[in-house]
Amino acid sequence: MQMKALLGKWKAALQNYWQRQRRLRKSWRQQRYVALDLETSGLEPKSDQVLAMGWVVIEPPVLDYQQAQYFVTQAQPDLKQSPVVHGLVRRDFLDATPPQQALEQLATVLNGAVLVCHHVQFDWQFLQRLAKQHQVKLQPLAKFDTLTFEAARLRQQQHHIARGSLTLVACRQRFGLPMYEAHHAYSDAVACGELFLAQAYQYAGSSEASLQELLAKAK
Amino acid sequence: MQPDFAELNRFLLDCPPFDQLNADQRQWIAGQIKAAYINEHNVDELFANYSPALYIVRSGGFDLLAPDGQLIERLESHDLFGYPSLLTGRAIVNQLEVVEDGIIYIVAAADFDHLRQTSRAFEHYFIRAHEQRFLTESSFSQPQPHPKTYPERAALSSASYPQRAALAGEVVQRAAVCLCSTATIQEAAQAMRAEKVSSIMVVDDGRLVGILTDRDLRNRVVAQGLNYDIHINAVMTQAPATIGAKQSLVDALALMTQENIHHLPVVEEDGKPIGMLTNTDMMREQKSEPVMLISALNKVGDREALVAEAAHIPEYMHSFAARVNDAAAVGRLLASLTDTMTRKLIDFYEQEHGVAPASYVWLAFGSQGREDQTLSSDQDNGLLLANDLNQAQLDWFAGLGEFVCEGLADCGVPKCPGNIMASNPECRRTRAGWLERFQSWTESPTPKALMYCQIFFDSRNVRGNKRLYQAYREDVAKLGRSDFFLGNLARLQSNVQVPLGLFNRFRGTESGKDSDWVDIKRYGIALINDIVRLYSLHEGLTEPRTLTRLQLLESCKLLNRKDNQALAEAWQFLTQLRLQHQLAVWGTAQPKNALDPDELSTLKRRQLKSAFRIVKDCQQGVGLKFGRIG
Repeated sequence: MQMKALLGKWKAALQNYWQRQRRLRKSWRQQRYVALDLETSGLEPKSDQVLAMGWVVIEPPVLDYQQAQYFVTQAQPDLKQSPVVHGLVRRDFLDATPPQQALEQLATVLNGAVLVCHHVQFDWQFLQRLAKQHQVKLQPLAKFDTLTFEAARLRQQQHHIARGSLTLVACRQRFGLPMYEAHHAYSDAVACGELFLAQAYQYAGSSEASLQELLAKAK
Repeated sequence: MQPDFAELNRFLLDCPPFDQLNADQRQWIAGQIKAAYINEHNVDELFANYSPALYIVRSGGFDLLAPDGQLIERLESHDLFGYPSLLTGRAIVNQLEVVEDGIIYIVAAADFDHLRQTSRAFEHYFIRAHEQRFLTESSFSQPQPHPKTYPERAALSSASYPQRAALAGEVVQRAAVCLCSTATIQEAAQAMRAEKVSSIMVVDDGRLVGILTDRDLRNRVVAQGLNYDIHINAVMTQAPATIGAKQSLVDALALMTQENIHHLPVVEEDGKPIGMLTNTDMMREQKSEPVMLISALNKVGDREALVAEAAHIPEYMHSFAARVNDAAAVGRLLASLTDTMTRKLIDFYEQEHGVAPASYVWLAFGSQGREDQTLSSDQDNGLLLANDLNQAQLDWFAGLGEFVCEGLADCGVPKCPGNIMASNPECRRTRAGWLERFQSWTESPTPKALMYCQIFFDSRNVRGNKRLYQAYREDVAKLGRSDFFLGNLARLQSNVQVPLGLFNRFRGTESGKDSDWVDIKRYGIALINDIVRLYSLHEGLTEPRTLTRLQLLESCKLLNRKDNQALAEAWQFLTQLRLQHQLAVWGTAQPKNALDPDELSTLKRRQLKSAFRIVKDCQQGVGLKFGRIG
């Protein structure tokens, strides 16, 4: 009996694996992506909090504002110095959403989709900690980092990577994307999503590149 | 939760007609938009997968091509496309080509329709844009001139005064007091006493046939010793000047000054009288300050006082123009001020040198003739003299020309660099002498001769013998109908390049550091004047004003109604834009007629393009219709 259960579990995992492999081999253009940005009270996932999260769903070439979400998730924030950066002030936290609720929505939308962030490790670590606390499982198909992709791209062009040249704003400028004034989890998510599209089309617009090939360029 | 879409909202606020939506509508549509990253690899998917829709360019550059591959327009940030298919229900036939990768916002057809149903301004905008007639569109929520080049002055003036000029019909204080033309003089006087008015409108069969004022009773009845039983049609002013109820007060004012009258009947479109506009009404209106200015000019006793009074004109016109915000009215008012100063100067000259020894006409040419003067317009004038003058008489007129032109210059109307002034013996001619000149121009049309024609064919009689002027003007009109001459004029005009380049982008007309600036007078207003003049010459019209010429050309078969209307709207838009620009650069060294298209608001830029496109189309029409002849 125990053996049977184990076998079943194993079988399911294997099936999952193959399914995932099959999806990764499909064209990157037929995938769903979720561009996301977090506001945090600091840079340390272990001690700092997630204050707000914003995301938008992308089905290339379209970024769909109808599937856009923004949540302030922290009712009692430890603001420290960070309000200077993201412009959130006390009253924004009054109608905060319980993190559980926001995470569940995120889990649904992320399921089978590629998570896209500018410096994805940073956001992912915060997300994972928060998800664990609230017992929500986030299972994106893969993660794509616009920052790593850009660094690799510049290195390949033998560019010296100057200080500040990998910020979201600087990367967007190189692709001729418009300047955005607001710095806010949602508008940064949109900005990151647009950058992703520009990068992906530049790399693999003309070919039927698979998601796997695209991901390999951001490693 | 839905984000606040602050970034997208900011963009839409600068993208007419979305600026006309209320905050809720704008927030709603922001949440419906799809943003597509379009590049050469996926451009074909846009129309295939997302149409019909309204498309808004957020970034990048795209060429819109007709099915035959011809370029229609280069689309850049803030440009809209796709709405003709939405409005007509026809499939998109044009193609899109990528010049530079970028983001295009997609508004789905259902959402577009919803906005049209909930916002009249939104609906109105697209209907007009579809008819290519959105030049008359104006948006008050637009930050009008760009803050970078335009100082607070413009912002201040538009904030503190209403934009719309008062209409003649709104100012009339009471219903018309009317009598029929067979009423007696005594009945008229009794009616005036009973109604406490100073004038009577004489109306037969619902149509205004004359007016009778208390001054007429004094001068034409009492002073002449007439019998009070006589019918009033014997002493009334027949076929008086009138003004339409929908015309602006400034028009009424210009007319009253021009005709030197104190009573002006206001009539409906069908000629039905509404009421009388009097000097007192004008004074009561705050906007009637021009009356004071003109009467101040009229009251001065000598040249010195006139010059002193005229020194107030620029400052005064500046505040006036900012207030009424009606370029055509400002042009007319300036022309009538120049007319008034000219007449005063002639009076002063006559006081010193005796009255004119023969009949003559003081002619106004160019912008004064057309009544589209601006503060930077220079003098264009001349004298039409009676035949067979002796040397002493000729000297009298030479002195007059000298005196008036110098006087006008001192009053702030700059001398003409081309020396088209009555002080120049070349510009003092008899009727035969003028005709000889016109004939030499029309028969051997060098570019310079043609340029003169464009100035001299727009003439008006400022002071002098009406019959002499009429005879002269009719002769000139006859000469202007020569096909050979018109063909040459048309070719000259087609050589002027409208500042729209390939892909419908602005092309700078200036040199040096401002090389991407555009001269809207030379390449816009003047071109429309030229085009309209050509049709007028062909029809033998003697009217000099461009808008009135267009009205008179409404029955002309050569110029269709749509082009006629488009030219009028383009002319009004461009003169308005020039006025706003001149107000903004007032007192600075910046060019008065050239401006930087990049400094204009999105709506203004679109409208300017549209105006130039009209000019370009009509220019081609002129080339086709007249250019081949001769």
